[in-house]
Amino acid sequence: MDMFPVWLSLRVALLATLITVAAGVPLAWLLARRHFPGRDVISAAVLSPLVLPPTVLGYYLLMLVGARGALGRVLERWNIELAFTWKGAVLAAAVGSFPLLIRTAQAGFESVDRRLEQAAATLGHSELSIFWTISAPLAWRAILAGTVLAFCRAFGDFGITLMVAGNIPGRTQTLPLAIYDHVQANQLDQANMLSLLSIGIVLFLMLALGRAARLRF
Amino acid sequence: MLSVTARKQFGDFTLDAAWTSDQAIVALVGPSGSGKTLTLQCLAGLISPDSGRIIATGRTLFDSDARVDLRPQQRRIGYVFQGYALFPHMTVAQNLAYGVRNGARSDLTNRIIDRLGLGPLMARYPQDLSGGQQQRAALARALATDPDLLLLDEPLSALDAPLRRELASELSHTLRDWGKLAVLVTHDLAEAYQIADMVVLYDHGRTTGAVPKNDLLWNPSSERVARLIGARNILEATIADTSGDSIVLDWRGGRLEAARSPSHQLHARAGEQLAFFVRPEYVRLIRKNRPVTDGLRQTNLFHGDIVGERDEGTVWVLYFRLARPGQPSQGEYDLEIEIPKLVYERLRISTDRHWDVSIHPGSIQVLPGR
Repeated sequence: MDMFPVWLSLRVALLATLITVAAGVPLAWLLARRHFPGRDVISAAVLSPLVLPPTVLGYYLLMLVGARGALGRVLERWNIELAFTWKGAVLAAAVGSFPLLIRTAQAGFESVDRRLEQAAATLGHSELSIFWTISAPLAWRAILAGTVLAFCRAFGDFGITLMVAGNIPGRTQTLPLAIYDHVQANQLDQANMLSLLSIGIVLFLMLALGRAARLRF
Repeated sequence: MLSVTARKQFGDFTLDAAWTSDQAIVALVGPSGSGKTLTLQCLAGLISPDSGRIIATGRTLFDSDARVDLRPQQRRIGYVFQGYALFPHMTVAQNLAYGVRNGARSDLTNRIIDRLGLGPLMARYPQDLSGGQQQRAALARALATDPDLLLLDEPLSALDAPLRRELASELSHTLRDWGKLAVLVTHDLAEAYQIADMVVLYDHGRTTGAVPKNDLLWNPSSERVARLIGARNILEATIADTSGDSIVLDWRGGRLEAARSPSHQLHARAGEQLAFFVRPEYVRLIRKNRPVTDGLRQTNLFHGDIVGERDEGTVWVLYFRLARPGQPSQGEYDLEIEIPKLVYERLRISTDRHWDVSIHPGSIQVLPGR
């Protein structure tokens, strides 16, 4: 059986999760702790992938990063091509998983007692230092939970990936797309194998998360 | 010397604090929601007042005119938060080291650890400490940064009553040894009296000036202050004569002799209205029809009846109505009288309701201002 979709999906999900965490955790902290103009708009925009049809989202992403898209033309100068490449799949998976991380991490930061951060400020620590030594360590369970949710969502993305990266076997065909193709071709054994594998990976991660959340710090 | 003027609007609530303390420890006292904690946050730089000026031992921390607003990190303040705000993911040792530059344990930190008896607790996490231990750890963490000014927000309110009394005196000693400026927020006047030198009263965002604590309790300057400190028997009288050693008042158709205040000058003249209060525990009950030999007991002597009473455990509160025509001065009664339970039983007050009372002139507190 062709294992390429499995490895591609793992790689795409991992990279997408890294991007989501790197951009999402600071943004979640900002949304939890700072009041700035446009906060509500950003909050709504970040959550829109949860409610918009994936194909709609994928369509606009494709328009953005395609050869004639605003972002596509900028990236072309550095010879980066996103549309219909595995990098496009990473972008698609990251966008789909972003709201899950933001929501969970934001709730985690909001549950940190504000006085702890204020106490740290009176003890001479800068905002950045307070984030690393107080806010993030105290919200780590929520950040981890959001990370695992984001990974699972990225791993399973179908619609956005199909629109942005296409379904090119051996190049952009991720695991969910491969399962779909197998079913279309009436190769139910292969579809079944890949489905069970997906369930196994997600189940393993959720169990590991449950274990980690019981650790003290 | 600590001088605070701060105005801050929060929706319906306006903080308008203005006071200056020249003593080491000042207590901010008032009900919850009166602006005490808000003042601490302004002092710490966690909130910027809309306008005002804050000067601590010569350093300007905030000045809206000069556009000075130091960040909390620059203010050299120690803040003991309500509920202590110890970092739950750090040991006591890590909590103490958090505010100390380069994290090394200095002589100062070691002295504080010894002074507060935290040595055996250094490896513990905050959730494994008792309330009193948490309070000391939070105090130690704030003092370890060697601040110029210490802010304490209800440092004892999380503790049980017996421990609270014990720790109040411990805290008072620690602060006195430390010897720098401290601001204590509390809703409990007795606690403020035990710990602080000066008291500022808070009421709906407004403040009285900082007053030496003894003056506040024994010589309140106005009727408003008397109400804020919970004085009972606040009454109205007409001044009859102010020419003598004592002030003679016309009250309920009788003469009342009151001692002069040692510090507040009385500007009112004969014929004017004046507020005063009588401490309920200083009114003496005298059995009727018994010859009074003690001269002092003959001043301010009134006949009347006990028209109500309240058992407060160790003391009884009696509501006394003068046997005089006219409306009683406090609704159904004229005076609240407080006596020990033992006296209540010995005098058989539950059956005998007709008494004379005598009010010592020194226990009548004349209130010069409104």
